[in-house]
Amino acid sequence: MGGEVVSGGIGRSVPRPDGPEKASGAFRYAGDLRVPGMLHARTLRSPHPRARLGRIDAAAARRLPGVAAVVTAADVPGVATYGLIVADQPVFAATEVRYAGEPVAAVAAVDAATARRALAAIEVDYEPLRPSTDPEQVLAADAEALHPAGNLFREIDIRHGEPGVDGSVVVEDRYVVGMQDQAFLAPEAALVSPAADGGVDLRVATQWLHSDREQLAACLGIPENLVRLTLAGVGGAFGGREDVTLQIHGALLARVTGAPVRIAYDRVESFLGHPHRHPARMWFRHTATADGELVSVQANVVLDGGAYASSSPAVLANAVTHAAGPYRVSHARLRGVAVRTNNPPCGAMRGFGVPQVTIGHEAQMDRLADALGLDPVELRIRNAVRPGDVLPTGQVLGAPLPARELIQLVAARPLPPPPPAVDVTGLALPGGLPAAAEPSRVRRGVGYALAYKNLLFSEGMDDSSAARVRLDLTDDGTPRVRVHSACAEVGQGFVTIAGQIARTELGVEQVVLAPADTAVGSAGSTSASRQTWMSGGAVRGACVAVADRLLARVARAAELPAEVVEAPRRTLRIAAGQIVGVEAGLRIAIADALAEGPIEADYTFHHRRTTALDADGQGDPHVAFAGAAHRAVVDVDIDLGLVRVVSMALAQDCGTVLNPLSLRGQVEGGTAQGLGLALMEELVTVDGVVVNPTFHDYLLPTTADVPDLDFVAVTEPQPDAPYGVKGVGEAPTCTATPAIVAAIRAAVGRDLRRVPVRPQDLVDLPTRSDLPRSDLPTSPHLPTRSGVAPAGGASTA
Amino acid sequence: MLAAAHDSGAAVALLGGGTDLVPALRSGERVAGVVVALRRVLELRVRGAGADSLTIGAGATYTDLAGWSLSPGLARAARVVGSVQIRNTGTVGGALGSARPAGDLLTFLTAADAEVLTASPRGLDRQPLPRFLADGLAPDALVTAVRLARPGGPQVYLKIGDRQAAYPAVVSCAVLVDRVRHRLTCAIGGVGLLPARMGDAERYARDEVDWSTGTVSPTAARRFGDLVVEAAARITPALPAGPRGSAEYRWHAAGVLAGRAFARCLHVTAPPAGVPGGPAGDSAVGGQP
Repeated sequence: MGGEVVSGGIGRSVPRPDGPEKASGAFRYAGDLRVPGMLHARTLRSPHPRARLGRIDAAAARRLPGVAAVVTAADVPGVATYGLIVADQPVFAATEVRYAGEPVAAVAAVDAATARRALAAIEVDYEPLRPSTDPEQVLAADAEALHPAGNLFREIDIRHGEPGVDGSVVVEDRYVVGMQDQAFLAPEAALVSPAADGGVDLRVATQWLHSDREQLAACLGIPENLVRLTLAGVGGAFGGREDVTLQIHGALLARVTGAPVRIAYDRVESFLGHPHRHPARMWFRHTATADGELVSVQANVVLDGGAYASSSPAVLANAVTHAAGPYRVSHARLRGVAVRTNNPPCGAMRGFGVPQVTIGHEAQMDRLADALGLDPVELRIRNAVRPGDVLPTGQVLGAPLPARELIQLVAARPLPPPPPAVDVTGLALPGGLPAAAEPSRVRRGVGYALAYKNLLFSEGMDDSSAARVRLDLTDDGTPRVRVHSACAEVGQGFVTIAGQIARTELGVEQVVLAPADTAVGSAGSTSASRQTWMSGGAVRGACVAVADRLLARVARAAELPAEVVEAPRRTLRIAAGQIVGVEAGLRIAIADALAEGPIEADYTFHHRRTTALDADGQGDPHVAFAGAAHRAVVDVDIDLGLVRVVSMALAQDCGTVLNPLSLRGQVEGGTAQGLGLALMEELVTVDGVVVNPTFHDYLLPTTADVPDLDFVAVTEPQPDAPYGVKGVGEAPTCTATPAIVAAIRAAVGRDLRRVPVRPQDLVDLPTRSDLPRSDLPTSPHLPTRSGVAPAGGASTA
Repeated sequence: MLAAAHDSGAAVALLGGGTDLVPALRSGERVAGVVVALRRVLELRVRGAGADSLTIGAGATYTDLAGWSLSPGLARAARVVGSVQIRNTGTVGGALGSARPAGDLLTFLTAADAEVLTASPRGLDRQPLPRFLADGLAPDALVTAVRLARPGGPQVYLKIGDRQAAYPAVVSCAVLVDRVRHRLTCAIGGVGLLPARMGDAERYARDEVDWSTGTVSPTAARRFGDLVVEAAARITPALPAGPRGSAEYRWHAAGVLAGRAFARCLHVTAPPAGVPGGPAGDSAVGGQP
């Protein structure tokens, strides 16, 4: 490493290169792309969660003026199905629809309104079938198979220590987590152009260009080299763009029509179009000795994968392997299944299976602390894992993982002042501006959560990342670094970090990033907290190779001895635009060294190898972990069940910090998304149908909901990562939710077993038998429409 | 012009602030052959005060209302609608035209016994809000204004939703006190398809309030809330089950909000300990761990 004085290198709060454009509204997202003569595409989706598909008659739609094409399953030339892990999802439903929202056909027309009319003109014969929407029923012996591949995506059973060994203190309960959506702000969009060579060019907002390409090529029935993708501006992803959504539909229409096609979702279609976070049903049993040493943990996790596999098998592995949390435990039995239902498909979302189990194990740790009469922080400190400990999978925990320090740090942060006795503005009390809260009925609670989250892909995956770096001169003779990586920038900050790395390694201030595309090798997915480590490692490796060649070139030109040319770093180094050799008395500007031509190098970064889990759930599945601890302080109006999060403190195990500003953005975002899951973010389904696919009914936390984050970074370097980095975006999402739930539990003195926590879970509700009339409907889900208002009673007329 | 457009057979849409219409047109939920933009019809934006009544033009925005000192309760209800952008563009006419269950203004206007003024080729018309909402607007008619009585005492509008920032109301409550006519009105939104008046609770209040002093006993505030819970559970047609809040929670919340609004409008004689909906006299905050 050289360049200690170059500005904008690693460790600095370098601002995002795309920041001003994004803040001012000038940034071009995928949905903003237009080309002359393009067609507009829309997708027809099943209204039924399960139905046999009969005839699809698109003749009337095709006859509409302005309609260019209608495609259905019959028009898919290649493989009929796709998927991230298992190709079990039809491009278009062919014989049966398995979830409400499943694509049945797509239309391209001269404008969006015509395309919409064409959708309405397509006649589809559905024979509705009874949907299976209870994930705990679909594995029953007499349950109907919902797909030829069956209803079980994966089952994992981890056996650790001795069965049946218990401590004297036992806590046991069930927990439920609802379906969170990634709810990224820029809906799915792509611009697809047919190419003269028979191929297709896509500009698309995605998380993994090369995985999209592989699936596209298979379904289009053409070689991968004819499918070229370039990343278009991505407005958030959080896992929701890992799966293919509109890519294949758009490409089919572009190839059939021979015209460029814009395909873009609106908000409703976005909510229906991509997989969500898995809803979970979990059972936990924790036992401890009377003095608070954890003895055994049992867990049983059911993840509802919905209609198709997506990344369910990998999400389950994360959920089950993390189910005991970052605690030392000698005996564990951790089991889980991911199952198929007729609910919407679920897959990757920030935290990837770990947020769900963290909600469970942290509730259990609080219950255990209660049962033991111990402070919840103290119980966590006593049992926190340390590097060298054997995890339930048999994996030996590597360093660093400062779990004890994290919970101690966060517990030591100053507490906020008590809630106001009088709130003039209404903003400082639960419920906000409408001022429904009554100060005398507000109670405060404090809660803690500790978690760890794996980094990078697991279970033997070699998810490498490639990068190409070129060092050349601009027209005016200034040295410039060009970094080419297929890493999808989805907001995480790779575009910033890549420049910082190149400046640091090559001592050159000017760095440009080539568009991320499939002309370079795969960078792997922008997920699993992996891109700073993996693609950062690739950029660094390519920069080092360029630097080595540059130094060798200088050594040769200076006629230094052969051993110096062989290993020039022993005597030469790069410093702020120059190559310096103190012993050799050498000082040459990089620009001069580049006079004889540019230098380019490719590098592929691999992480250490891991192993799959065996039949007993044993192995070395995870590359590394990052720890986090949150403390939440909430105020609750105990009559209305309204919650205001007053303060959030976070201590996180971050490895080396490459960009403090970018780090802060990640941990604040992770905290906010965890807060959303704790209090409001839930896609609600009724018999498999999503009933709130809009931002009117699916609320996101805003700046009025998320308090300023009191953040402490623990920066012990990760040994096998470039510069000692760790991924930082996921761990805080895992802990924010359970910390808030714990704080609410403390405020209201109720056991809370369901997330998101709803106001109705926090108050004593009137039952129908309390009320004077007897002819009221019996189920809260079946509201009356036939009830008659009694004389003198309430009336809407 | 409206009549002409209607007679032409085209689907006519009236554009006020466009906060409901524009997204609906964009998504295809509504189709219009003709859009009549009303923003520049200045007569619709007039607000006026008579000896006993207030008249608000259908084109008045929430922002217009939020700063209107002649109707503090209405101003309060308008101030907690949506975001600044929504308040700047959304109109009174739009709130009446779309009649969304979460509409804040409807709850307030229901409690205020508002009348809706319309114009059509048949002339001017005026009808009580409940009848207007039940019958709907004739295709060739236009809402010109809404009329309500001048405030005769304290007015409180409260609503709850699922976050701290701007939210659609899950349950809303308006309580209006008329110290002159010895009358209290209460409407609850978010339980039925439309806001509903709480008749039993209103009658109870009329008898329980000491109108000479404007005071009420602590038990009366609680009883008022209980009566609202009972009445809320009887509202028909009920709002279909949705993602936010069970029916039982909404009945319960209606009672709490009504009790609090009641207590804030009137002087409660002594603070009852631990009574939900009690007045803000007890400053002790428990639960500090």
